[in-house]
Amino acid sequence: MRRMQSIFRRSSHDMPGLNLASMPDLIFTVLFFFMIVTHMRHDDVKLRYQVPAGTEVQKLQQKSAVINVYVNSSQIQVNNQLTDIDHLAGLIEAERKKLSMENAERLTVSLKADKHTPMGVISDVKEALQKSFALRINYSGTEAKEIQ
Amino acid sequence: MFRRRRFEQIPELNTSSTADISFMLLIFFLVTSSMDTDKGLLRQLPPLQEQQPPTDVRKDHVLQVTLDAHDQLAVDGILIPPQQLRDQIAEFVASDRTDHVISIRTDRATSYEAYFRMQNAIVAAYAQLREAYSRERFGRGYGELVEEQRDEVNQYYPQRISESKPSEGGAS
Repeated sequence: MRRMQSIFRRSSHDMPGLNLASMPDLIFTVLFFFMIVTHMRHDDVKLRYQVPAGTEVQKLQQKSAVINVYVNSSQIQVNNQLTDIDHLAGLIEAERKKLSMENAERLTVSLKADKHTPMGVISDVKEALQKSFALRINYSGTEAKEIQ
Repeated sequence: MFRRRRFEQIPELNTSSTADISFMLLIFFLVTSSMDTDKGLLRQLPPLQEQQPPTDVRKDHVLQVTLDAHDQLAVDGILIPPQQLRDQIAEFVASDRTDHVISIRTDRATSYEAYFRMQNAIVAAYAQLREAYSRERFGRGYGELVEEQRDEVNQYYPQRISESKPSEGGAS
C-alpha cells in the first residue's frame, strides 16, 4: 500500500513545466504583423455614419493629400473637428493650408457620408467644396460583389 | 579551482518579462491603429457655376436621369428598376460617344444611398465601355494599359455628366 502511494506521488511530482522561452518571439511576430497591416488612426470620429456599398469602388491613393469630411443628417466633421455647413468652406481652406505644396495641388476630399443622409445636405457640402476649390472628391463606400 | 567556480556562477539574464512587455506593445498598437482602407468612387466636381456660361445642348443628346424624393429612378421620365440603369447608360453612351450628356437630377429628400448607387452605375457603365474599347484597340484590359493609352481610351469615351442642384422639398 505504501509503495503504491509513493509511485502515485512520484508521477504527480514529475509533471514537466511548459517551456515559455519562445512566447516573446510569438508575440513579437503578431506585433509586427499588426504594425505592418494597420495604420495610425488620425481622426477621432465624433458622429455616427455608415457608408453605402458599391461594386466599382477603388482604393484611395496618396493618403497624405486627403481631407476627410464626415457627414450624417445632422452633423458635419472635417478631419478632427465638428463644424456646420456655414463654416465648412473656411475649414477646408484652413486644412488645405496645413498640407505641403504638392499635396495641396492634388488634394482629394474623401466624403464619408451616412447612407441615409438626404441629398440636400450632401449638395450643400458639395457646394461648399466647390467654393473652396476642392474639386476632386471621393464618395467613400465599402466594396460589395453585387448590389441587391 | 577557485577561478573555475566563479566562471560558472555568471547569472543568466531573466527574460521571463519579455513576453509581458511585447504584449503591452501589441495591445498599444491594437488600440491606436485601424485597419480600414479608404475605398470609394473618385469624381471630379465642376468649378462653381458662375464661372462657366451654360451651354446649349440638343435635347436628343441628353439622357435625363432623375431620382425623386422616394428614391425612385427614372430615365427620360420613365421609371426603371436600378439594375437596368447601367445597361441603359452604356447603350446611350455607345450610341453617341462624344456629344452625349448625362444629366443628373435629384431631390433634396433623395437618400445618399440611392445617389451613390446611381453614381456607381454610371462608373460601371463607362468602365464597361472603356474596357471593351481597350481590348479591341490594344488587346489588353483597361487596367493593364500605360498612361498614354489610358488617356486615349478616356478621350474615346469621355465622361460628360451634368448635375443640377437638387430640386426643393419632398414633392414627387
